[in-house]
Amino acid sequence: MARDEFEAERTTYNFVGTRPDRPDGIDKVTGRARFGADMTAPGMLHAVILRSPHAHAKIVKIDTSKAEAAPGVKAIVTRADFADGLDGENWNILENVMAGDTALYDGHAVCALAATSMLEARDAAKLVEIEYERIPHVTDVDKAMAPGAPVIREGADDGSVPAGMHPNVVRYHESGHGDVEAGFAKADLVLEETFKTEATHQGYIEPHACLGHMGTDGKGELWCCTQGHWNVQKVCAALLGTETSALRVTASEIGGGFGGKTAVFIEPVALALSRKANRPVKLVMPRADVFRATGPTSPASMDIKIGMTKDGTITAAKGVFRLSGGAFPEAPMEFSAMCAFACYDLENVLQMGYDVMSNRPKQAAYRAPGAPMAAFAVESVLDEMCNQLGLDPLEVRLKNAAKTGSKASYGPRFDQIGLVETLEAAINHPHYKAPLAEGQGRGVACGFWFNHGGETSVSLMLSEDGTAQIAVGTPDIGGSRASMALMAAEVLGIPYENIRCVIADTSSLGYNEISHGSRVTYASGLATIKAAKDAVNRMCQRAAAKWGIDPDAVYWEDGYAKPSGPNAGEFDPMHITEITANMGATGGPINGHFEATPEGAGVSFGTHIVDAEVDPETGHTKILRYTVVQDAGKAVHPTYVEGQYQGGAVQGIGWALNEEYIYGEDGSLQNALFLDYRVPVASDLPMIDTVIVEVPNPGHPFGVRGVGETGIVPPLAAIANAVSNAAGVRMRQLPASPPRILAALKDRDAG
Amino acid sequence: MYAFEFEKPATIADAVAALGGEEAQALGGGQTLIPTLKQRLAQPGTLVSLKGIPEMAGICVADDGALAVGGATTHATVAASTEYPGLAGLASHIGDPAVRNRGTIGGSLANNDPAACYPAAALGSGATIKTNTREIAADDYFQGMFTTALEDGEIITEVRFPVPEVSNYQKFVQPASRFALVGVFVAKYADGVRVAVTGASEDGVFRWSEAEAALSANFAPEAIEGLSVDADGMIGDIHGSKAYRAHLVGVMTKRAVAAAS
Repeated sequence: MARDEFEAERTTYNFVGTRPDRPDGIDKVTGRARFGADMTAPGMLHAVILRSPHAHAKIVKIDTSKAEAAPGVKAIVTRADFADGLDGENWNILENVMAGDTALYDGHAVCALAATSMLEARDAAKLVEIEYERIPHVTDVDKAMAPGAPVIREGADDGSVPAGMHPNVVRYHESGHGDVEAGFAKADLVLEETFKTEATHQGYIEPHACLGHMGTDGKGELWCCTQGHWNVQKVCAALLGTETSALRVTASEIGGGFGGKTAVFIEPVALALSRKANRPVKLVMPRADVFRATGPTSPASMDIKIGMTKDGTITAAKGVFRLSGGAFPEAPMEFSAMCAFACYDLENVLQMGYDVMSNRPKQAAYRAPGAPMAAFAVESVLDEMCNQLGLDPLEVRLKNAAKTGSKASYGPRFDQIGLVETLEAAINHPHYKAPLAEGQGRGVACGFWFNHGGETSVSLMLSEDGTAQIAVGTPDIGGSRASMALMAAEVLGIPYENIRCVIADTSSLGYNEISHGSRVTYASGLATIKAAKDAVNRMCQRAAAKWGIDPDAVYWEDGYAKPSGPNAGEFDPMHITEITANMGATGGPINGHFEATPEGAGVSFGTHIVDAEVDPETGHTKILRYTVVQDAGKAVHPTYVEGQYQGGAVQGIGWALNEEYIYGEDGSLQNALFLDYRVPVASDLPMIDTVIVEVPNPGHPFGVRGVGETGIVPPLAAIANAVSNAAGVRMRQLPASPPRILAALKDRDAG
Repeated sequence: MYAFEFEKPATIADAVAALGGEEAQALGGGQTLIPTLKQRLAQPGTLVSLKGIPEMAGICVADDGALAVGGATTHATVAASTEYPGLAGLASHIGDPAVRNRGTIGGSLANNDPAACYPAAALGSGATIKTNTREIAADDYFQGMFTTALEDGEIITEVRFPVPEVSNYQKFVQPASRFALVGVFVAKYADGVRVAVTGASEDGVFRWSEAEAALSANFAPEAIEGLSVDADGMIGDIHGSKAYRAHLVGVMTKRAVAAAS
């Protein structure tokens, strides 16, 4: 969107910025909401997926004969039941959805079957005989790129990788500007440190689930929990070798996604089984499968070097980011690299990323993929430098902060941005001035995320009583139905409660990109506003026709069409209900539409403050106080915005202190259950304070910036800094679990 | 879950009779058994619920001053009791409210999970485990991880706790499951101090006799300064090494002594 297009937009609001009840609340607390596993169909079969117990193994033989003869079994599928001849990302997805000749990680799908009951399916699964030949594996990102590491896939290098690297390094990124060596030479202090973070899971409560029905003619229906059903439609059609339009996909209510449900894992399997059995097939992942075989984040290994003068000016910054996206070429190392120094206005900056394959599951997005670990490394070094130079860490960040017009570390110049405003709000927040007791420490950190626009279609339908329905194509993972209704209410001038927003299926609306990239309130919101304006224009035309005046002489205000002035004529304002009640007779139904790929998403920044207390006898960390300050552009429904901020902080607390994928020597995942994988719960947490900063995004009619992802970028760093300052020992590896902190304290005491 | 028969007797005698049947299994609060059944890791023919037996529920003070807790008494009921604060405090931190409102003391002791809290209280109090056939001293009852002196079909009807002068339980939780990574129960009686440790040992709950001797001589945290349990024999897993657990035994013991009331 060109920015001048919005110049006449309003800056005062009747609905936007209020906090009405969420439209999905009653459904969710009464059980009426239908999630992925809640759908059934007559004649439905139940499916199970058999998964490799080995980290890396040739699949020598799959003998399904006994299972086929088992009671109730109606279909069994292996890789042979999917399309061949795929390439690119579709091939990678298929390779993950169902292994080819090699199992690439513990939990990799190898075979699936469907039976008339879940118990029969599970019993039959035990009868499938799979012969494996184990081959050497590697799960650690550094070991995977070291000489001699087992090669995951020969020839996977995309051509960007510098010569001489291990074949597991498959993609390389480099960006920056200036001359970092010259910059380091000007510094009074240069610090270079290495950091490591483990893979974490998004931890959504609802496991992946779907109900698929595909006939032998290739036409089908699919119900599933996903962040993007058009993507599911496209991918499933490709993997099954059918046309996209032959498959209708409906997104269920979603019990958490955080990026992990942007990917396709089980839906093609359910459809392949259904096509073979000619019956509907339901497939619900057990929790252990969710951990073992759906997207965790990439583990990361990072080197950061920063130069600073005594007054806190950063003279140069350099970062190397090694990430593994599992046995597939897609670790978001370029996002790590590009986000790492984006908060700072730097003369000299250089960042490099390596995408490394290893015997882990295919990584999936998790809120601002790649950015939190990079921020952890960079902001830790900054914190250490401030400590060594005796400088205030927020003042140093403010001194170096990127501003409107700054050249970003990753290339472009920033449009209107709000980092400085978040830093000023943090510096002036009572939290930052509050005293700390012995054994307590404070950490701060900044974070950046790009935000995204993406392909978007929205329809708005008026009813005869003057109420409205909005059909959007972006599954609601953070309150977007409420936000859409508020934005439409603002344009139409009708109550929020008179607007119902639904998530349309793939056959009812144009293409919509996944709910990712913090794009929904921005892009679907922009499209909703435009669709509502389209409907308003049509209503103005009806009023003009009735009055016998030019449509340009009619304007819309607070739910009424009004003549634009004395020259237009003397007419009583015409209410929306008056127009819609007669619309059938005055020209037909009135709807509004908008579709586009908006590109003015508006980047987002945040600043976090954390107080932590470390128990020196056990290494246990308690988070005492947490404040999130973030630029929302314009908070459409502030309660949801605060929820996004708080959720980012909470997930960051888990990542920083406890959550990690733990692989055994045999390459198998050791903690594939919530009993062993440690997400924070309410009793672990203080109230998370939030401050919403509003520096409008010029690319949105109301100034909205996405808020879903930036909130998880600073926490790892802020918490690590708080822990390090409390314990007096720098934690360069996450999670900073109690045994790890205690060991660090003992090492320090031992000198 | 596999199919099974379900019985809910109203008397101990009926429960014992029902448990005499083939493949019968007692069911307390089900906090371990039900998940086990759901995972199809057990296949009992009949589940015999012990939660409908009035004589097995509730708490009272016996003539000798000991606290008598019925075998089917929930953690929540114990947590709300006042007679033995150390025991009530322990019960109030088991799992979460849902667990405490379902789980029973008899079920916990019969299961003898090495990371459960109640075994520390029973052993640390020198409790008597009363069953439908006999009385078993806690020192004889616990026989290693998930192993007890109970015979097949034997039911814990009551647990009798001598009430100490002061006591306390300190637990360092495994952050995901909230079971004890290490839990230490300390109880000071007129004739000496008992220290029982759960969560830490490969042999299940145990008494830390060196600490008991030191604390019996001087009931103060500093009395066990310099004492430590051997890391060999401790549990080592993804949540904490053997050495970390051995270290925590000392820390939690000191804290329990300091907090004892």
